[in-house]
Amino acid sequence: MDRAVVGEGVDRVDARVKVSGRAAYPTDHDPPDVAHAVLVQSTIAAGRVAALDTSAAEAAPGVLAVITHENAPELCAAQGEGGPVPPPPLQSDRIVHHGQTIAVVVAETFEQATEAARLVTVLYARAEPVVDIENPRAEHVRDPFGTDDATGDVDKALAEAPVRVERTYRTAANTNNPMGPFATVASWDGDELTVHDCTQGPSRTRSDLANVLKAPRDSVRVLAPYLGGGFGAGLRTWQHTVLAAVAARQVGRPVKLVLTRKQMFTSVGHRPDTRQTLRIGATRDGRITAIDHEAWQTLSIDDANYEHVSRCSLSGYASPNISARDVQIRLHVPSPGSMRAPGDAQGNFALESALDELAHELGMDPLELRLRNHADVHPVTGQRWSSNELRACYRTGAEKFGWSRRDPEPRSMRRGRTLVGYGMAGTSFFFYQASCAARITVTRDGQAVVGSAGMDLGTGTYTVMTQLAAELLGLPLGRVRVVLGDSSLPRAPSAGGSGLTGSMGSALHDARRNLIRSFLDLVRDDTDSPLRGADVDDVRVEDGRIVREDDGRGESYTEILTRHRQDELTAEGSAEAPKEDLPVVPTGPYAAKFAEVHVDEDLGTVRVARLVTAAHCGRVLNEKTARGQIVGGTVGGIGMALFEHTVTETRTGRIANGTFGDYLVAVNADIPDLEVHFVGGPDPTSPNGTKGCGELGVPGTPAAIANAVFHATGIRVRRLPITLEQLL
Amino acid sequence: MRSFTYVRATGVDEAIAEVSADPEAAFLAGGTTQVDLMKDEVFRPLKVVDITRLPLREVSGDDDTLIVGALTTMEELAAHDVVARRLPLVRQALLLGASPQLRHMATVGGNLLQRTRCRYFRDPSTACNKRDPGAGCAALDGFHRMHAVLGASSWCVATHASDVAVPLTALGASVRIRGQGAERMVPLTEFYRVPGETPQVENVLEHGEMITHLEIPLLPRGTRSGYLKVRDRASYEFALASVAAALLIDGGTIRAAHLALGGVGTVPWRVPRAEELLRGAAPDREVFAAAAEAALSGAVGLPGNGFKIELGRRAVVRMLSILSEES
Repeated sequence: MDRAVVGEGVDRVDARVKVSGRAAYPTDHDPPDVAHAVLVQSTIAAGRVAALDTSAAEAAPGVLAVITHENAPELCAAQGEGGPVPPPPLQSDRIVHHGQTIAVVVAETFEQATEAARLVTVLYARAEPVVDIENPRAEHVRDPFGTDDATGDVDKALAEAPVRVERTYRTAANTNNPMGPFATVASWDGDELTVHDCTQGPSRTRSDLANVLKAPRDSVRVLAPYLGGGFGAGLRTWQHTVLAAVAARQVGRPVKLVLTRKQMFTSVGHRPDTRQTLRIGATRDGRITAIDHEAWQTLSIDDANYEHVSRCSLSGYASPNISARDVQIRLHVPSPGSMRAPGDAQGNFALESALDELAHELGMDPLELRLRNHADVHPVTGQRWSSNELRACYRTGAEKFGWSRRDPEPRSMRRGRTLVGYGMAGTSFFFYQASCAARITVTRDGQAVVGSAGMDLGTGTYTVMTQLAAELLGLPLGRVRVVLGDSSLPRAPSAGGSGLTGSMGSALHDARRNLIRSFLDLVRDDTDSPLRGADVDDVRVEDGRIVREDDGRGESYTEILTRHRQDELTAEGSAEAPKEDLPVVPTGPYAAKFAEVHVDEDLGTVRVARLVTAAHCGRVLNEKTARGQIVGGTVGGIGMALFEHTVTETRTGRIANGTFGDYLVAVNADIPDLEVHFVGGPDPTSPNGTKGCGELGVPGTPAAIANAVFHATGIRVRRLPITLEQLL
Repeated sequence: MRSFTYVRATGVDEAIAEVSADPEAAFLAGGTTQVDLMKDEVFRPLKVVDITRLPLREVSGDDDTLIVGALTTMEELAAHDVVARRLPLVRQALLLGASPQLRHMATVGGNLLQRTRCRYFRDPSTACNKRDPGAGCAALDGFHRMHAVLGASSWCVATHASDVAVPLTALGASVRIRGQGAERMVPLTEFYRVPGETPQVENVLEHGEMITHLEIPLLPRGTRSGYLKVRDRASYEFALASVAAALLIDGGTIRAAHLALGGVGTVPWRVPRAEELLRGAAPDREVFAAAAEAALSGAVGLPGNGFKIELGRRAVVRMLSILSEES
């Protein structure tokens, strides 16, 4: 090979097909005779449907069916393989949140279905909703994930600590809001179901759908080769996906169901809001002696959701005494779900804000405080890290940002009526790799096709897997094609948790080994082959050839296949999650973030002027897509810090701002140049050396901004988003 | 969306006749608000009369007045050289509104008539006196951070969302209205109606009447003017508070002053009392603070929007300070 294909900023292999409009997203599928389904949603948050009148809707032009809890098929409440499945829809008259689906109208056209949906009249029996995290009537679920953990004696250490910080922080509910509205197109052919769906995990959606519909798994096929963004919204098998399949069976035609933007706020999850209390004790010279973190987060009434908010406090700093606990508060709100760095996004804000408050209390540089308490080993288990370059992140980030120019005094740096603030935060994300399979086929013309059910939600999976396969097979990029997003391909985990690259890359490694072995098996007794009798460990690949390590002799894939009259060879491979209880703990990515904010002294408006990230992501397969991941996440982090807030009305449980006009996301004008610097080397846990980087953009960003706002103004905002009325 | 008939108007009088004859008919111009409202089932006309091709798109005038056809788009007006030279506050307000895409579609007449962004008005599942008179106002004990602190009533606290209406009101601009009767001119200060007990009535237009032109008095040469918009994000958002102001300062004295607020009122909020305070005074912080106090006089906050009263005052002081420092 003339040059490395991995690590380079290779352009996206799917760029051309996407920008030319040829990539078929789920909404682009219109099978012949497709009918359209529209949801009818509850306008109360708690109670039940006392009576439904669907006669006007049924009589409306074009209507094919109106499905309610009174005529819906019985569905199975499934326990999913890839996390809890939301409760199946339309199984009773009970209402547990505003915007809950209470009927589906199927008609010839979308407009007819929409108009008929308006004609469904509902008589409610109302109950008083509980929608506030602090409402004493709400049910508390303690240690919901079995992840609460502790070391030492936190209460004693806090009582003895010369310096203490005890604070409560709040983060708002956020809604994922991918640009592409979620949609499902479901078609039955006899008992075979094909579903085009906005999912981040075709394998998981297939098994969930099979379970919920009580269908054999092999009879369901889920396709999601392209997705208009997900940010975690595609990590659960939502009710609308199930309903599209139910409706298609009921009307005996393919059914398309596209959520409206407003429905996206109630139907595909959200980042739950949190109320977190941090207690930190330290010596006067800045040694942390105790960290106590209790994280409350909201949950819907009859669902489960994995979101470990206090995790960062278990692994963040070298404290001898740590206790971290999660509590879920059940409320009459829609089902939550994962959203960009679930749990860590909120937990990091509380921990890193509290660290900043401690630094101020101690009169110490916030960066110095973090370096002084760096966790050289896992603070609770004592295990060594598989790799940890957080110190290098701090060093590089501080240097690139110019942290040394910071005057420690709050409100000391100003330009005219603009208050300037510098703030920083560190962050980590957990290591995640799950069981995954992949397939490689090499054809006689020297091309490779890689297949896996895993998908590319826009992050660059097509591209990095093309690069990785090219490297593993010794082929140029143009000779490798990657096929993704189809549950009929080898099973893969969902694209989430910064885990797919490591999972699929490891499976690819295994598949490649099996494939080379198949080639060597083919020539085992072939006297014409220089590779005769070679073992997979005795060879390497280069320029489309398999070559002996010892004497450099070898031959190409094409030569072998041609001589043996084979069109192609295929091999599958798989990889599992790393074993637990290793002496070394598999370690995810790290980052240090440095933010400069400008606050208008009179008007309270906050603008981020600069944000520098230094990240340790293990081996970076593609600088361009990796940078894109972190930049995109940082934009989300700026949104979480300053704008994003899904407002639920306390009285009604209705989401008060469920539109793009009212729910603010950051726009271009809010985003300054975002610098990203990669530091550190590969991680030994996976054969590719990757750690994942997609989740690293959000956590740390809100805390760095909030800490910079404090430095600019002297006002500590402990509630996200930071809005101007908190600074007037 | 309810099915409706679409008619393309062939002339101004024909369009007026078409809409006047049918209580369920409505004009359609740029449609940037109206089509949203139709999709959201807030506005359900049975007939839509498209007026976008009518010859009401020219900008003309003399040295004192600019006459703007109501179908001129926001971008066209912003780009007009007289607006750029003589009406910076109007140009700034136009360019700080919406997005370039919307500004190329939205007309100036439509902008003046845009409906409130109140989520309760826009969600038929909630109570709204403006949409459904007598139904009540869910915003009062709901989420009302964006709502009005001036000109509100217990029937309605919805904010008037237009940016450009704020400087136009400050300048004393008028609209030319044509209906089946005689044409009339109405100053914007008299065009808009505060909600009182009838929030469904937002202005003096009768059904079938059309704004055909806008007449904007030009500022005397040497006048400094500007538009300050305070909002959560840096672009593409409605104002939490905005200020349009113009000051003619000569020899250390304010000779003429125009001042109006947006984002805080149920209508674009001109403040003659503040203008009086400014006229004849030296342009200093003291008089700006007094003007700001006068500008927010009578403001009433709800739990979620009370901050806008102080924000509005500070925005007035900032805008006037900027203008006085430009010399």
